[in-house]
Amino acid sequence: MIVRLAWRNIWRNKMRSLVIIASVTAGLFAGMAIMALYKGMMKSRIRTVIDTETGHIQLHAKGFMGDLDPKLFIQGDKKMMATLSADKTIKSFAQRTITAGMVSTPNGSSGVSIIGISSSEEINVSGLGKKMREGKMDWPPKKRGILMGKKLAKKLKLAVGEKVVVTMTDTADNLISAAYRIQGIYQSANAPLDEVNVYIHRKDLQEMLGLGNQVHEMAVVLQDDTLLQHTVQRLANQFPSLAVESWKELSPETSLMAETVDTLSYIILVIILVALSFGIMNTMMMSILERRHEIGMMMALGMGRLPLLMLIMTETFFLTVTGIPIALAIGTITIEHYAKKGMDLSGMGKEMMESFGFETMIYPDFPSDKIGFIVLLVLATALVSSIIPILKSLRMDPVSALQK
Amino acid sequence: MENTVIDAHNISKTYDPTGIPVPAIRNVHMHIAKGEFVALVGPSGSGKTTLLNMIGGLDHPDSGNIIVNGTDITSMQSADLVKFRLHNIGFVFQAFNLIPVLTAKENAEFIMLLQNENKAKRNERIDLLFNQVGLIDKKNIRPAQLSGGQQQRVAVVRALASKPQFVLADEPTANLDSAAAFNLLDMMAKLNKEENMTFIFSTHDQRVIERARRVITLVDGQIVSDTTAHAQLK
Repeated sequence: MIVRLAWRNIWRNKMRSLVIIASVTAGLFAGMAIMALYKGMMKSRIRTVIDTETGHIQLHAKGFMGDLDPKLFIQGDKKMMATLSADKTIKSFAQRTITAGMVSTPNGSSGVSIIGISSSEEINVSGLGKKMREGKMDWPPKKRGILMGKKLAKKLKLAVGEKVVVTMTDTADNLISAAYRIQGIYQSANAPLDEVNVYIHRKDLQEMLGLGNQVHEMAVVLQDDTLLQHTVQRLANQFPSLAVESWKELSPETSLMAETVDTLSYIILVIILVALSFGIMNTMMMSILERRHEIGMMMALGMGRLPLLMLIMTETFFLTVTGIPIALAIGTITIEHYAKKGMDLSGMGKEMMESFGFETMIYPDFPSDKIGFIVLLVLATALVSSIIPILKSLRMDPVSALQK
Repeated sequence: MENTVIDAHNISKTYDPTGIPVPAIRNVHMHIAKGEFVALVGPSGSGKTTLLNMIGGLDHPDSGNIIVNGTDITSMQSADLVKFRLHNIGFVFQAFNLIPVLTAKENAEFIMLLQNENKAKRNERIDLLFNQVGLIDKKNIRPAQLSGGQQQRVAVVRALASKPQFVLADEPTANLDSAAAFNLLDMMAKLNKEENMTFIFSTHDQRVIERARRVITLVDGQIVSDTTAHAQLK
């Protein structure tokens, strides 16, 4: 009876109830859309980090990542290569020689990380070739060729074919310089990295630094993201003299962002629901005041506090939760549509997004793992919204409520 | 008296809404026996509704006691009074007060549902009463589709459904035309006979007063006469 009465009561004033149900639907949809967008952005950012910046795991000599000291290298011997090649969880890996240096032109100079790469390995690990905007990644370069990020090229006013002088310190602490010609200009989703990373042939760099076949970095890509922790642990056991770090440690800002974005989306959803709760509360208060006489009559007939409380709470519950399936349906359809088609956010500030390392084409991801929590939040909203109307109705005196 | 349903001893009630005391009921003594058909009459402001509210456990007297079926309801707490009303008293209101979103049958079984009566018993009782009041064919329609007289009959069915000790009706015919008022009174008288149900109703309608078996007259909160009427009930 309580359920039936509550359901019919909310439809006494159809327009008012529909407005509230529509508000809950819109609020919930907005919350889900924000969560999906954030989840999509973070997924894209993490993908960018793994696929184009760090790989899943990197191995370095302990202490190397502090100041890129060229003397802290990895032997990179056959045994190590064989171990990594035989590991079935590893999809591919790339050896890199890295040092800090400076790129100079008549227009100016800029501090950079000089990364020596091998094309065949790098294609599978960072996909650098796909990021070329001008010139080509013909590797090894015929003459001394260098790949430079678009942001750095713009800063130094350089174009493909122009010369730069690269300066660095070798393993014997000698300052050495060499002239390079810009072979290509790349652009990644991470503009800050484009400003500091330049790529040259690994063999060139090894020679300049006075290294043999030694490298500074081993970037590893796994078959599956879920294998990360397990593989990090295993590699750390296999190479105890090296620092084995996952992308979460190599790009802590991304890891932190992924965690805070979840919290942020919950905060936004809670704000939406708190705003909605005032609307729901107001509707319930109006409904109760309009039915004052009727509630007084029910109390006079012998309806106790508990059934009355249940009635008001059920009405608030219906008013609130009716929007959930509608919001879920609209949310699922919309998010799935954009998950396939993608959402181009370049109009909202391409440069700003890139400066934070985000792709401008976002593929929202339906927050299915959070639906349970969202529903719980909505139920809590219904509960909170019903408190004042319940108190108001319970405080009614049947005699005065029955008076006209 | 063995058959006493209501025994009010020296009850008084004063309202003080604006700081000026207004006596509503003054030293009223009243005994009502099982199966009586009592009209509580008097001009507006004479205290009829206040007296009914106190007998019905909706309001407390300032002094005196009201014993209903051997239970002193004046000392009861609010929650106990709610339960007491649910199980012992039927109410019929002037404005019908049916729940508009429920059908006539659902309205009638409302109290039985609060009493957790099972479906079979509810159906049996409701059908019997709807037959008695001649509304069996209208039990599944909502109050808005019923006339005022029919709505008040549904209200009477609701009051009787749970087999209370007595039914209190506050101006039950006030919103009805003459024909509907007479029909309702005939029906109440019939149920009074068939179910031996005690009815106490307030009114200042002379047509209604003429049909009561006992008439208690209130003036300025005091009983000025208590007579057994000679009206012939149909």
